Amino acid sequence: MSVRRLRRSALLFAAVTMIATPVAANGYREKGKQVVIAGSTLRVTPPRDWNLLSIRPGKKAETWTLDGEQLNDVTWYAGIAADEPLVREISRKQKPLPKLKQSTLLVEIPELLETTYRTERQIGDFQVTGSAPDPFLGQPGIRFSYSYVDSDHLPRRGEARATLIGGKLYMATFDAPRTHFFDRSLSDFRALTDTATLS
Amino acid sequence: MIAFARGAAALVALLAIAAAPIGKAPPPPPYAGIYQPQGVDEIGAWREADEDERALANAPEVIRDEALNGYVRGVLCATVGKDRCAATRIYVLRVPVFNASMSPNGTMRVYSGLLLRVRNEAELGAILGHEFGHFERRHSLERFKAQRTGTDLLSWAAVLASMAPGYQARAGYNTMRWSVYGQLYHYGRDQEREADLLGLGYLNGGTLRPQAAASVWHNVMAEVEASSRARGLSKPRYDLFAFSASHPPSAERAATMEALADPQGDGRDDGADRYAKALAPWLPTFLDDQIKLNDFGASDYLIAMLAEPGWTPRLWLARGDLYRTRGNPRDLVNAAEFYANAIAADATLADAYRGLGLSLMKTGRPSEGRTALRRYLHLKPDAPDAGMIAMLAPAEPVEP
Repeated sequence: MSVRRLRRSALLFAAVTMIATPVAANGYREKGKQVVIAGSTLRVTPPRDWNLLSIRPGKKAETWTLDGEQLNDVTWYAGIAADEPLVREISRKQKPLPKLKQSTLLVEIPELLETTYRTERQIGDFQVTGSAPDPFLGQPGIRFSYSYVDSDHLPRRGEARATLIGGKLYMATFDAPRTHFFDRSLSDFRALTDTATLS
Repeated sequence: MIAFARGAAALVALLAIAAAPIGKAPPPPPYAGIYQPQGVDEIGAWREADEDERALANAPEVIRDEALNGYVRGVLCATVGKDRCAATRIYVLRVPVFNASMSPNGTMRVYSGLLLRVRNEAELGAILGHEFGHFERRHSLERFKAQRTGTDLLSWAAVLASMAPGYQARAGYNTMRWSVYGQLYHYGRDQEREADLLGLGYLNGGTLRPQAAASVWHNVMAEVEASSRARGLSKPRYDLFAFSASHPPSAERAATMEALADPQGDGRDDGADRYAKALAPWLPTFLDDQIKLNDFGASDYLIAMLAEPGWTPRLWLARGDLYRTRGNPRDLVNAAEFYANAIAADATLADAYRGLGLSLMKTGRPSEGRTALRRYLHLKPDAPDAGMIAMLAPAEPVEP
């Protein structure tokens, strides 16, 4: 390979890398600026700065965090339709995930999240610790809490808010290690989800 | 190279074992007493295993129920003998997969998915004996050495092939690479065969029925088949195995175990009643962990297997939950029937009323559904989802 061709391909490589970088990078969700979740009609105005992870759990989902992945994750599920799983399936044939059904009731949403977590991570210890009616996005909704031991052996706790609108599921979950992180950022999750609206 | 030749000789010897005509498994060699690791490789492997065990001892998924742990230990001791089992540390883990393992330092991990699948002490003993066989023969060390020898050989061959002038040498290297990998996988499968042989040796010499070892694999095959059928996959082939398969095919294992079992042991007790009694406090939890794995075929097969001695309210409830979670309209109708069966057998089973109520509400019978949900709230007023259920089924207005 001549020096010129070598230089040209190196430049091309650098250019492609520069173009590709912003797409692959984690994002920034600035305080007070309204953003759209996963290209849907769900809009959020964060009351404080958040980070958006570039790795998305599914086509209609995205994950935000304060301190880093798996430390305090807020995952938005925006408009999951009937017969769709919450997150991306690793193998649709060999390891299918539970799907939202047309007949799924609001009270069954915790079970849907539980079976999704259990199936995806092959874990045995997951408990829904409470659930109560609580409006979300201005509609009748559910707020529930849960605790589980994740596949990395770390006990975690979670809280979630969900509602079904026109057969589509809108949900926000907060997952954090039981020690320190959950209690510290729970109020941030609550304040954040209070700003969510559907346009 | 000498090491490789030695490895090859050992491999040939193992192949001879595998190819030998099958008869009753011989009794295990006399117990050699407490063993300490020898040489850098083994000392290193034990240190790693010790470190893993320290983490395991504090792991949240370990089930610390004294009765269950004592029972599993009892089954291991009945299989391999009191002298052998004394040094083993058993950890029962709440992980819903069919597995058990044993580390070189004598740490045994037993997964809750295994306890759910075996039906009696003899079947559990067969699996635990197999794992103990790996430990007694120090298979992980042998495999580590075989892998190191194989990869060393390939590294040197790669260097030599890159220095060679012709295409032939590199082509020869590629052939050799596949051959070495193939032999390593083959070696792993032969170790499994040897552990099966030892496991049956323990069972033949113990008090439990050795024929149970084969039935474990028959059940595993039936379960995988049921799972594939429900997912619309083609029927799995149990007589074939992949190039990189870690274990011999299940059909081969079942046939070998049948042949290795002592025919005179057929009349022995398999401890099914004792097993069912010991597992009873944990069965609802393990079953719940399984049905929430979204594997309809396997879960339905397991429930039917557990129901062979007779249907219990808990099993009807589990089946109802399984069908309701899949959630096709026909499933909901079936689920309502299963919940009704559970309630007929035990009218105080609150969760069955919940499942029944939700299934009825979704199949166009909301007023009956609300009645069942109110019954659930009456039986379990402090249920975690009481608020949500109360919204679905508000208390009936009091007549003026």
